[in-house]
Amino acid sequence: MLSYALRRLLGLVPVLMAVILLTFATNHMTPGDPVGTMLGDQSANVVLAAKLRAEYGLDKSLWTQFTGYVAGLAVGDFGLSYRFVGVRVTDVIWDGLKISPVLALAGTAVAVPLGLVVGIFAALRRNTIADTGVILALTAGISIPNFAMAAYLVYLFSIKLAVLPVAGWGNFSQAILPVGILAIAPAAYIARLSRTYMLEVLQQDYIRTARAKGLRERLVIYRHALRNTLVPLLTTIGIIFGGLLSGTFVIETVFNIPGLGRLAIQSIFARDYPVTMAIVLLFTGFYTLINLAVDLLYGIVDPRIRLGSR
Amino acid sequence: MTVNVIEPAIAPMKSDFWPKFRRNRNAIAGSVIVTFVVLVAIFARVIAPYDYDETDILFTWAHPSSEHLLGTDALGRDILSRLIVGAQVSLTVAFAVLGITLTVGILLGMIAGYFGGKLDAAIMRTVDIIFAFPDIIFAILLASAMGPGIVTVIVSLSVVWWPGIARLTRSLVLQLRTELYVDAAIASGTPPFVILIRHFLPNIVAPLIVRASIGVGFIIMAEATLSFLGIGVQEPRPSWGGMIRDGIVSLRTEPYLALSASTALGLTIIGFNLFGDGLRDILDPRIKDR
Repeated sequence: MLSYALRRLLGLVPVLMAVILLTFATNHMTPGDPVGTMLGDQSANVVLAAKLRAEYGLDKSLWTQFTGYVAGLAVGDFGLSYRFVGVRVTDVIWDGLKISPVLALAGTAVAVPLGLVVGIFAALRRNTIADTGVILALTAGISIPNFAMAAYLVYLFSIKLAVLPVAGWGNFSQAILPVGILAIAPAAYIARLSRTYMLEVLQQDYIRTARAKGLRERLVIYRHALRNTLVPLLTTIGIIFGGLLSGTFVIETVFNIPGLGRLAIQSIFARDYPVTMAIVLLFTGFYTLINLAVDLLYGIVDPRIRLGSR
Repeated sequence: MTVNVIEPAIAPMKSDFWPKFRRNRNAIAGSVIVTFVVLVAIFARVIAPYDYDETDILFTWAHPSSEHLLGTDALGRDILSRLIVGAQVSLTVAFAVLGITLTVGILLGMIAGYFGGKLDAAIMRTVDIIFAFPDIIFAILLASAMGPGIVTVIVSLSVVWWPGIARLTRSLVLQLRTELYVDAAIASGTPPFVILIRHFLPNIVAPLIVRASIGVGFIIMAEATLSFLGIGVQEPRPSWGGMIRDGIVSLRTEPYLALSASTALGLTIIGFNLFGDGLRDILDPRIKDR
């Protein structure tokens, strides 16, 4: 098990290196000279330009810049920001780093139980009106993009009913709409899958056995069926977390939340590539680690999966 | 890394398609919405009551009336006309991305699955790298580097979309690789390219159609997201995502823009997803819920 985990971790190194190279190349593909932007109205100041170019390492070859960047990453250094001249990227993203993961985790914490309850509710009432209604609602939940959902819900709760704040971050009531909206699509996704898996599990022989020996229906569902429904659901957590990470780009922009997602978008418009790059790499790193954890956990929960044999 | 488990099922197009279609409520409801949106998109310039770009400074943020059924926006442009042309923009992007990703994905997937070896390794490692980025974050990065515009959106979404098609195609080809008729074709000296087109393609087309039809809704959503963030389709060309961004800031006083664009976008994606789900049930009941 440990050796498998180590091997998987090592196997990620080339992929992550390629991700860094690709991100680096994409950002250097963009036209425009960052030093020109930094100088602003001092564009004629050749001495300052040369000094900035040297400070940012822009006078070196692309390859040297890349190796320098990777060496910096290894010690948690993302270089200097273009927008805030001379400020370290780590200082620019630090505050956002305390918000976006909280937002994504809160979204998961709402989505998983909600999705499970709704999915199992629908499965146990298969082919009834309630089931059909739930399925329709789930299709809408998966289909309607989070910013469109935000338009409806902000209009309803913040403007018409005026019970929730329109935007901001800091107290509980400000978190309800962003977290709730972020959770809708993953909850609907989990509900759809758990309904399908539950229906499959309920047809298994061991469920018939449990019922035949006179076990109460509640125990059949919660002790036997639910546990086996959870196992395949585990594999979807990676996809869900990935969706939540990119969801923060939109939700933080809509609700004016000073997290990494909004910062990434602002940095795109400010041509602050080092900051954009840092956030993309951080999110990709989180995502990769979550996926690795899910894979390892899957092997522990389901002994039929022999991890070593891949 | 975790991938969507789509159990590749190999079944040629069945002749009982229509009877099954008629009994599938999802497919019918979805195809009604899809047909409507496609027709609106095709005839957009004919049915739009105004020019989508026609501004009227004296008539900004007009409320819905018989003259402007959904009112006007901050520049006095007719919201309904912009919604209608927005459908055209949205579907143009979606079908362009679909066309590119299906061509590239199927081609590379078949090459990887059929020839194996170094070609397979090179293609699949590229797929792994693009899959390493969460959701559409790589598309956001690419779009921001290329500068906004409709071509940018098509290219950046194609880059993140083809790997899924390639992976599915490859797994389908690998399953067929051991079939006797493939051996027979090889033994009789048929060139690989002809084998791929004549023997593989017809047999893997059903699951690919399902995958593609489920994908349309997600591509429309992705385009709208990029446009909403301001790195997608640009003014004055209307896009539903851009209209929602413009409308959401004035939601308190002028809700019509954001709410009508959200409804158009939401209903369209629901339609495509219902249609895709319906097709999946009809063509390929073994493909697992995505």
